Amino acid sequence: MNKNIILTIAVKDIKAVFSSKKVWVPMFIVALMICIAVPSCIAFFGLQFDLIGTSTQEIEKPINAFIKDFPNEEMRNTLAAFPTLSYKFVYFFLTFMMIPFFLMVAIINSMVTSSNSFVGEKERNTLESLLFAPISIKDLFLGKVLASLIPTLGISFAAFIICFIVVNLITYPYFEIILYFNSTWMILMFWVIPILVLFNIILNVIISAKVKTFQEAQQFGGLLVLPIVGIIISQASGMFFLSPLTLFLIGVVLLIANLVLVKLVTKFNNRNALFQSQIH
Amino acid sequence: MFKGGEILTNIIEVDSVSKEFNNTLILKNVSFTIKEGSINGLLGPNGAGKTTIIRLLNGVIEATNGIMKVMSFDPRLQGNEIRERVGMVTESASLYHDMTAWENLVFFSKVYGKFDPKRITDLLQQFDMLAFKDQLVGSFSTGMKKRISLAKALLHHPKLLFLDEPTNGLDPEGINEVIHFLRKVNKEEGVTILICSHVLHQLETICDSYLFLNKGMIVEKGTKKQLEEKYLKNVNLLIETGLKPLNTHCYKGYTYSIKGPNQLEFKLSTKEEITPLLSHILNESWVHNCEITNRSLEALYFHIRGGKEVE
Repeated sequence: MNKNIILTIAVKDIKAVFSSKKVWVPMFIVALMICIAVPSCIAFFGLQFDLIGTSTQEIEKPINAFIKDFPNEEMRNTLAAFPTLSYKFVYFFLTFMMIPFFLMVAIINSMVTSSNSFVGEKERNTLESLLFAPISIKDLFLGKVLASLIPTLGISFAAFIICFIVVNLITYPYFEIILYFNSTWMILMFWVIPILVLFNIILNVIISAKVKTFQEAQQFGGLLVLPIVGIIISQASGMFFLSPLTLFLIGVVLLIANLVLVKLVTKFNNRNALFQSQIH
Repeated sequence: MFKGGEILTNIIEVDSVSKEFNNTLILKNVSFTIKEGSINGLLGPNGAGKTTIIRLLNGVIEATNGIMKVMSFDPRLQGNEIRERVGMVTESASLYHDMTAWENLVFFSKVYGKFDPKRITDLLQQFDMLAFKDQLVGSFSTGMKKRISLAKALLHHPKLLFLDEPTNGLDPEGINEVIHFLRKVNKEEGVTILICSHVLHQLETICDSYLFLNKGMIVEKGTKKQLEEKYLKNVNLLIETGLKPLNTHCYKGYTYSIKGPNQLEFKLSTKEEITPLLSHILNESWVHNCEITNRSLEALYFHIRGGKEVE
């Protein structure tokens, strides 16, 4: 393993991401909209104007029934203690429904950079040059993984910090609780998301090394959003609750999956196979 | 082979190498050697297997059979040792268009573990590209990209330089520039060069020896002199002259044909007949130009293809 070569490749790819507005602007917009604008608007309008409480009295009954049957006792009690339906909805949304949104942003952004990694080099005719250089395929893979990991995590963490500040500024006077400063969110942000992003990136880099075009890579990579959509549905329906323990276990499972993928990558450590499949 | 009076060693040795891909035999029993410090042309039509040979020698693909040695290393087992000492110019320039010339060269020099700003500056200067170092490669002409690609291939002081169709897409001026730079690199840095091309006349002035490849087989090899001796059985001499012989087919025993106004092509059996013929003509008229037309690389190539039955 040659750290200098891995860093050289990673720095070159990160610069490429940030030198193309077409790549980094959508990444920032997705994070800004989903992780900052959506929770801030829900918090501000939900609490300031009591929108849900005044306009939809008729849905209070089913929502209260939903809260009553909620699987997590702590959340059930907290929600039940709030005076209005708006408070309940805003609190529930911000602490609970935002989890899959953060997961989704991390997945989408990591996919943008990683699916382009090998196929992008191939489409620019530069992969041949890299394979003719005295670098190991493992270093090339690691450089590519690092190049996707750093911007994705950077954007996710920055979005979390801004969301934390803005949402708490809005909600603290109402809830008198600091949101997101709890074990669930800490485990999510600093355990599950890094491992999930890494998993997604390694998988996408492998896919990128196997397919022929960027479009194919995007198609395969897009499939990875499906589990997150599943989590959103299960969260919204209350079928499945992402407790700190659940999140921790998801992280462990993903970590094991990562190890399996790394093992798979070492199998790809064959210049001839990569060359014959990608260069014509 | 002798160059500058010293005996040169083989830098590349290829013995009975075959390559099969998807059940198709791309190279069949290929054998050749390349001398250190020489410039060699690997010539043949598109699809003959030229690029495959370069890839095999770099160890980026594996031979199905046979033995290869590049600087005494086995490409199959010691690919990185070879790649550290080899410069490669691929058919497409293989540069990052969204990076400047300088950034491209810095990146590749770091990839080769030989980052040296002075070397990069020197190469840019050598290839007349220093003034454009901060411009994006995407904005360069094909010739400029080719020059940066050549500089990239020389960043790590390679001992051996492989060039795959280096003149493709270049205008005549660009071709001359590339040929000039290659000669310079060979002379000044002692780099052994192997050039793959299907455009034969471009390599005529630069190569010491040639390998002719057709349908995956080496059909002929040698220096131009050796090839001429083997294949040039008669001499076609085109003369631009004011001579108007009375006999329409023969002049002083030499047969000729009229090729154009003031242009006569004589068929001679040896080069030794040229001087007496010219002195006869000069006694009677003027001579402005005189050229052997069937000794060009292209003419030799057609001789070779015509003379040897290839599958």
